[in-house]
Formats: sequence, C-alpha cells, structure tokens
Amino acid sequence: MTSENASDVQNAERSAGAEARAASAERTRLVTRYDSVRLSHGSGGKLTLELIEELFVSVFANEPLRELTDAAIVANLGGRIAFATDSHTVKPAFFPGGDIGRLAVAGTINDLAVMGAKPAYMTAAFLLEEGYDMAELERVVRSMKATADEAGVAIVAGDTKVLERGHGDGVFINTTGIGFLPDDVRLGVGYVRPGDKVLVNGTLGDHGIAVMSRREGLDLAVELESDVAPLNGLIEQVMQVAPNVRFMRDVTRGGLAAVANEVVLRQAFGLRVFDVAVPIHDVVEQYSEMLGIDPLLAANEGKVMMIVPPDEAEAALGAMKAHPFGREAAIIGDIVRKPEGVALVETAYGTRRVLEMPIEEQLPRIC
Amino acid sequence: MAEGGGAPGAFRPDTYKDPELVAQLSGRIAEVAAEIGRPVKLMHICGTHEHEIGRYALRDLLPEGVTVLAGPGCPVCVCDNEYINLAIQLSLTPGVILCSFGDMLAVPGSIPLEGERRGDVRMSLLDARARGGDVRAVYSVFECKRIAEANPDKQVVFFSVGFETTVVAVAAMLKRGAPDNLTVIEANYYTPPATSLLPELDGFDIEGFMLPGHAVTITGLRVYEHLAERGIACASGGFEPVDVMASVVSLLEQIRDGEATIANPYNRLVKYDGNEKAKQELDEVFELAPIRWRGIAEIPASGYKLREAYAQHSAARRFAGTLDEVALRGAEHPKGCRCAEVTLGQIRPDECGVFGKLCTPDSPYGPCMVSHEGTCRAWYTYGMHKERLTVEAA
Repeated sequence: MTSENASDVQNAERSAGAEARAASAERTRLVTRYDSVRLSHGSGGKLTLELIEELFVSVFANEPLRELTDAAIVANLGGRIAFATDSHTVKPAFFPGGDIGRLAVAGTINDLAVMGAKPAYMTAAFLLEEGYDMAELERVVRSMKATADEAGVAIVAGDTKVLERGHGDGVFINTTGIGFLPDDVRLGVGYVRPGDKVLVNGTLGDHGIAVMSRREGLDLAVELESDVAPLNGLIEQVMQVAPNVRFMRDVTRGGLAAVANEVVLRQAFGLRVFDVAVPIHDVVEQYSEMLGIDPLLAANEGKVMMIVPPDEAEAALGAMKAHPFGREAAIIGDIVRKPEGVALVETAYGTRRVLEMPIEEQLPRIC
Repeated sequence: MAEGGGAPGAFRPDTYKDPELVAQLSGRIAEVAAEIGRPVKLMHICGTHEHEIGRYALRDLLPEGVTVLAGPGCPVCVCDNEYINLAIQLSLTPGVILCSFGDMLAVPGSIPLEGERRGDVRMSLLDARARGGDVRAVYSVFECKRIAEANPDKQVVFFSVGFETTVVAVAAMLKRGAPDNLTVIEANYYTPPATSLLPELDGFDIEGFMLPGHAVTITGLRVYEHLAERGIACASGGFEPVDVMASVVSLLEQIRDGEATIANPYNRLVKYDGNEKAKQELDEVFELAPIRWRGIAEIPASGYKLREAYAQHSAARRFAGTLDEVALRGAEHPKGCRCAEVTLGQIRPDECGVFGKLCTPDSPYGPCMVSHEGTCRAWYTYGMHKERLTVEAA
C-alpha cells in the first residue's frame, strides 16, 4: 500500500479470547457502531479489530480464521498445489445476478478449477473507500460466504485497508486461493490436437451485457442476469466422464474471443467456431445488436471453454448439461490443422472471418 | 428490444440473418451481375456497413466482378484535427471535464506526442488523460448532461462527433434545456454533400451507392436525389446480412436497366422523407455550415453548427481566445498514413504501407484504425486483408 493513511491490518491483532470470538461468530446479524467505513477501520487498532471480529470472522466462520493469527494454518493438502490470485472491481458493485463478492470468490475458484485443481482455501483482501456503506459491505461479505460454501471452500485469512475518500471506488477485493491438484491431471495447450472439440457450458456474454445495462448512462431495462458462478463442481463432473480433457480456461473479460486466441497463439493448429452453434441468450443477441457489441467478445463470469478429444465430447457435453451451471452447454467448434495460429468464425452463410483478439473493453459504437 | 418497442415481432433479427434468404439473394446477385456482363463498383458510406460486411464476410458471397467499397462513413475518421486538438486542449484546461464517446478517445489529432520514437505519432484524448486531463467516456449526451448537473462548479464539454444520428440526440438534449456549464464541440457531419463531392474526383467509377440506413432514417432519401440525377444508382441499406444483400441486388438491377433511382429496400425503417419530428428539432437547434472532412476537403453545408439561440453551448465560442490557436491546426494525417485515400475508397486498407505494421488496433497510427467504424479497423479485425481463410479440418 502506498497511501499513508492505509496501514497493514493483516489479521494481526492477537487476543486471548478465541473461544469468546467463536461464540460471537455465531451471531447472524452484524452489530456495528458505524454505518459507514472510517479510516480508523484500516488503522490496525480497535476499530479494525471490531470490523474483523464482527463482520469477517462472524460471517466467514471457520476455525483457521477464528484464530486470528498472522497466517492461517490449514490441513496438509498433499501432493501438487494449484495457487491463484485475482483482484476485482466492478461497476456497479451489485448487478443483476450477482455482486462483487460473488465475483471475487467465483473468479479465483474458477482459475483453480480450470487447472483441474480442487479449490480448498481462500484469502480475501479488501480495499475500502472511506465512507463506504457498512450495510453494503456486509451484503458483499455474506455473498462471498454463500459462494464459498456453494463451492466447498473456506475463506481462512484476510486483510483490510481503508483508502481516503476519493482515492478508491467503494470496494476492491483481492482473493487468493489454493487447491489440491491430483497427480493424474494433465491439462494444457500442448495436449490439444486437430480434431478435438470445443465446448462451452452455456450462453455467452450474459455477464457483460447484464453489467453494462446497469451502467450509468445506459440503464437499460434488461431482463438478464449475470452468469457469475463457481464452476469447480461442474468441472469435476465433466472430468469424471471425460478424463482426457485437453485444456480448460474460464471465459471472462474479452469473452470467448480472448480465450480462443490464447489457445492458438503460436500453435500449429487453428480453432474454428461455428457461429450458429454458439449459445447466445436472446436478450444478449438483441442488445448486442443495438449497442454494436459482439457477444463473442463480451464478458462472462461463470463459463468455461473446454477442449476435449472427439471421442469424449458427447460425454463431456452430457455431464455439463446435467449440472445447473451447464444446462445450455454446447459443442461450438473444433480444432483444425489450418489455418495455423488463427481463431476463426464460420458464419451461417459458409463464409469465414477472423475471430479478433479483443483490444479494449467493449463500448457501444457511435454513428 | 425494450418493452413497448413497436408491434410484437417487429424486431426479428433472425429473419434478417436467415441463411436461406441470404443464399437466394447471393444467387440473384450473381445472375444480375452476369446480365450486366462487366465489372461493377458499388460503395457504401457507413462504417457500420463495413463492420457488418466484415463480421459476416459477405464479400465472399459476391461474384468476382462485383466490388463493394467503403466510402466516407466513419465519423471518427472524418472528424477534423482541429476538433480533436480542441478537445485535447480543453481536457488539459483546469476546471474542465471533457466527455466523449469511447470510440473517439484513441484518435490522434495533430499535436505531437512528446517522447514517442515510433514516428510521427500524435496525441489522443487518452494521452491527454494520462497527462492529467479529466477525460470521461460517455454513452450518450444525456449522461453528459447529468455530469454537468452534478458538477456545477466545472465546465463540462461534450465532444459531439457524429453524423445525423448523433446530432439529433444533441439537439433533443439542448432543446429540453441544458445547464449553463455544458458546451459541445460541434464536430457534426452531414453526409449528402460529401457524396456530391465524390463524383468530382479523378478516376471516379462508382456506379451505385448503398445509402446509410441509420442516417437516412432521419434525413430520408430525398437528400440523395442529386446522385440519381447524375445516373448513379442508389438504394437504402440496412445492417443485417439480408439487408445488405438486398441493397446490392437493387443497385445491380438499376445498373443493368440503366435506370438510376433511389430505391428503398430498407423500407421497414426508412421513409422517403425521413423522420419529420427529428428533422424539425434538428433544424431548430442546428444550421448547416461548411466543415472540414479530415484529409478530404472543406465541404460546404456539410456540418451542423449551433444556431445563434443555442450559441452559448458552443465550446468553440465559450473558450475562444483561451486556447493555443497554433496547436489547433496542423498536418492532417501523420506521415505515411493513407487514411484519406481509404476514406474515399481510392485504395484498400492493405494497400497502405503502415497498415498492420506501424498501424494496428492496439497502437493506431491513423484514425481509420481506431474506431470500430473505421475501414482499416474492420479489415484488420475480421482478417479481410488475408486471403480467404481456407480451413483444413483434421
């Protein structure tokens, strides 16, 4: 941290009464003397401890966290560990279908899950702006807890900093996660072969359009929810029936276009997407047209692109569809010998175009 | 579409994307082209047309002899240096919030970017922001109005770049009452006079114009009659694959029959006289005046300027005398950039020496590579400069 008013409060406050805190953690409603975040909440002093105990420990509720030690001690996972971190900012912080809390937890879980790892523990670091609404913070924290529970992950350590008013944007959250990576997991672009199939677990662009619709200046009455979700459960189900999955990546900012281009970069194969096979929500289709946005470049927060050998593609698709986060899964393309190093789209008219690597955030076009 | 947006089923994108219909129209184009029996060049004058043609690779559905070129249809590309330089200077003026559409932020003007070694690289609004300018991307002029209301102690400037469709929204906003601290940079372009300039150019051989579907929804088609009178075929063009192909069919039939008219295949939205209410509001707030089209020329009566009654909202007037007049001008395009010829349809983007090399979407050198409406951007993005993408499956 560079701000002179922000000081480190890494679960650092030691105190003897771990048992008493455990009891207070059972409370289901937050009791706090403040309705907004103060600089002192990041000072490392009394208010910081209050915030940690009354909000974070109380809501996240797990043994390693309750100890309030400098570092959380967790069980030996054994074998290989996957390790990922991600920082989150989104405007608005609450959007249809989710919020920054769910996003922050799901984002890191998905980064671990697409590596074939089983996410186990997370840390959460908050950068709060002075004056940030305490009730809103509580909603964010509860949303994080609910998402972590859904994924079977514990949030075992954290950090809070408070930035002077005007030097932050409400709330930023960084999460870091670790997961157990079974020895037999072999995933990577190097395993991809021509003929492999490309799958996604549902409609693309939902998050991007849902969030954009609520931005100041657009405020569109869109009946659409973000897809933000932790995908470790779905991925585990797929890998049980398709053990030779070649490659996975969560489809986030930059959309499918970004992931497809990352896969083919400097490789001796191409990735072909069949336009008509890509699941797109009607509302996304219509608003993309209206705003001049390509749904293939729009953001997602609960989607994974998988490359699967052809003989396991149908099984993988079936497993996806059997999961609540994969009902609209589809095989959307394949890996081709040529053109090499190119992601391309085959249109409904039999014509082909390059699928561009996104450059900037998608913005409505002017005319 | 939003609730209440027309009759049920009025918006059915699937119909206008229908592969069978597109195949039929493609067949029809081949037939008529064969009847004509010689190569034919057509031109559209709308960046969205180029974008959609690229996105669906529709040129691959045209026979050898039928060429559809991109003309001056990108407002970002034709926006003169002077306005960009003005916006940059204002954004760096203390107390000013400069609001712009996102598309415009990366367009270089003619103020040199200090410390750049790649060549003749000029400053954009993004560079101004990096140097402390308060530059904000907005989605609409109404958002800009809200910013002005929320910041009464600041001067809020809207960089109003665009064709008829954009200026109509500005007129609507000003007419309903704008806060005193809101001004606009009048970089608004009116297309029809530019199309009358094109036939005057050396080597002009365009036989038909696909008219810009969005703009003619407002202005109507009558304003293009001068083209038909010169014997140039005209047809309105929508933006779905079926619309584009139907417009090409109409143009080719006119050329085959030697009867140039103004056809309206996009009649589900376009009326011959346009949108009377919008035109009336536009006329109340703005008047036509000469304006410079970047790299092309100053074209009479092709720009929208605020009428006297609204002149207090003109940024050029409010800040007159406070800015560096010298820096407002400058060489139009950077050295080696052939945007002007691309904009006029005289060369293909890949015939420009810097295309795809010094000039790419992530590091644009000329304006046509910046906006999604720009011809170079569309060509680069969709790989139109590459040989047809031949696939070899496993």
